Amino acid sequence: MLDVDVEVDRRDFVVRAALAVAPGERLALFGPSGAGKTTLLEVIAGLVPPRRARISLSGRVLTSTEAPVIAVPPWQRRVGLLRQDPGLFPHLSVRDNLRYSGGSDAELRSLATALGIEGLLGSMPARVSGGQAHRVALGRLLLSHCDALLLDEPYTGLDASLRRALSELVITLVAERGRPAILVAHELADAQAFACRLAVLDQGRLLQLGSPDEVVARPASRRVAELVGYTAFVPLAGAEQSSAAVAGIHPDRVIGGSHPDRGMVLSGVVAACRPAGALWEVSVRTTSALVTGRLFEPVPVDRELAITVVDPPRFDADGAQVLT
Amino acid sequence: MRYASGWLGVAGTGIVWLILLGPVIALLTHLSWSSIVSSLTAPGAWQPLIVSVESGLVTLAVLVVFGTPLARALARGTLPFPRVWEIGVLASLLLPPLVIGLLLIFMVGPFTWIGQLLGHFNIYAVNTFLALVIAEIYESAPYYVLGAQAAFASVDPRLEQQAALLGDRPVRVFRRVTAPLAAPGLAMALAVAWARAMGAFGAVVIIAYHPYGLPLQIWTTLQETGLPSALPFALVLLAVALPLPIAAYIWSARARRRRRG
Repeated sequence: MLDVDVEVDRRDFVVRAALAVAPGERLALFGPSGAGKTTLLEVIAGLVPPRRARISLSGRVLTSTEAPVIAVPPWQRRVGLLRQDPGLFPHLSVRDNLRYSGGSDAELRSLATALGIEGLLGSMPARVSGGQAHRVALGRLLLSHCDALLLDEPYTGLDASLRRALSELVITLVAERGRPAILVAHELADAQAFACRLAVLDQGRLLQLGSPDEVVARPASRRVAELVGYTAFVPLAGAEQSSAAVAGIHPDRVIGGSHPDRGMVLSGVVAACRPAGALWEVSVRTTSALVTGRLFEPVPVDRELAITVVDPPRFDADGAQVLT
Repeated sequence: MRYASGWLGVAGTGIVWLILLGPVIALLTHLSWSSIVSSLTAPGAWQPLIVSVESGLVTLAVLVVFGTPLARALARGTLPFPRVWEIGVLASLLLPPLVIGLLLIFMVGPFTWIGQLLGHFNIYAVNTFLALVIAEIYESAPYYVLGAQAAFASVDPRLEQQAALLGDRPVRVFRRVTAPLAAPGLAMALAVAWARAMGAFGAVVIIAYHPYGLPLQIWTTLQETGLPSALPFALVLLAVALPLPIAAYIWSARARRRRRG
């Protein structure tokens, strides 16, 4: 169990978060760049001093700012950190990188096979590709027998299929070892692909902690909705609601046509239509806002169109979720 | 056209190269075998060589022990007011060696408090082996410290951080990551410092006229018996001063190539 309760100063705000990650659990810290996600990982790793903190890992207290004050140095924390730069030691071969902090030969060989890098053991890091370097860095971390894994956007800059493959590899290996793992991501898809639980962080504040689908389907606040991809907020149709309440619209939760039984129906004139992946991104100008949805079929511009926003979350004037 | 400019470039570079090497070429063309033999077989001819090598080795040891931590602290920016510390290093680089020699007399000479303190222990820092080492340190230290600083600065601190997270305490991180990665640069810095120490003359002639090292041997031979008899000692000086830098250069180039795989 990794227990974290910290407050750490950043230049323009304070990062405050309390998290508990169970053995074998994968938590994703999701939020925009500069939200304080990396800072949080660095505090857990002991690289950044917190203002106030209590961090414990499998019963060992790593940091405590209250008496008795404890600050276990990074080299005794047994916390593994993987960053975007794999950080292989350039003067050591792949094999020597892998066994930098020990591990038996048998263990090294079986892990290298699992990672698909058994053919690279004799190579120098300068000779391996970006994806391979990440596999080596992951292997080095796992061979170090760390008690927790911190992944700081490790696969940014790699192409999507490679990212997915590496993410699945981490999931398998983390599950096998029953270690708590935290992934920092600013792409929602990466966070969802990895995590059992998702924490949304913005400006140093933990806005929501929930399952990867819940955070998108039921954002706790308008800000969370914005962060997970809601692009428009329209006043609620019914007169019984207070006038300031709005419904959030996520482009992926919009279907063409009028289906009042499935959600909120809006109509307007098509302002733009362009391909988006295998779908069509259609912008509809309604009386209150420009609403974008991703539909199966293209729609000619200037045509009248009815769309249904499936089960939209509602927010009150303060941006808090209105539970229905 | 492209070919012509390419050849012009090579020719131009070649000319500059020849000019830079000119003194060495002149030395080799003006030496006669008999003069080498007669100079080097004269009684006491090898003494300056021994003095130079010994003082040079002591100088290097002092630089490594005291200069390396300073260079690392400068590179990591862990010292308060880093510019102030850098000025200290630059001062001995920018002061002319003759001036350093003069000022050293005022610093460690027999009538200064340091000189008198040393005198209590029967140690004298003028015209002694110690004086020679002090002069050589002042002439070579900035080359080592600045070179070592650049070598340490080229090591990515995130690699050291990674090594720490993998369980290495700072001393082990230094031994297993920092030092090996900085080694090619450190070797070059040390080699340059060695060449500087071997050739130190300006400060040496003032504070350590005795015992003679090779540069003073060349100077006095030139004064007493003229140019031709000084040349063989110049060759000896080159033969002693240059192999270490050349070896360091070859070694660090190979280390870098090995790293590229």
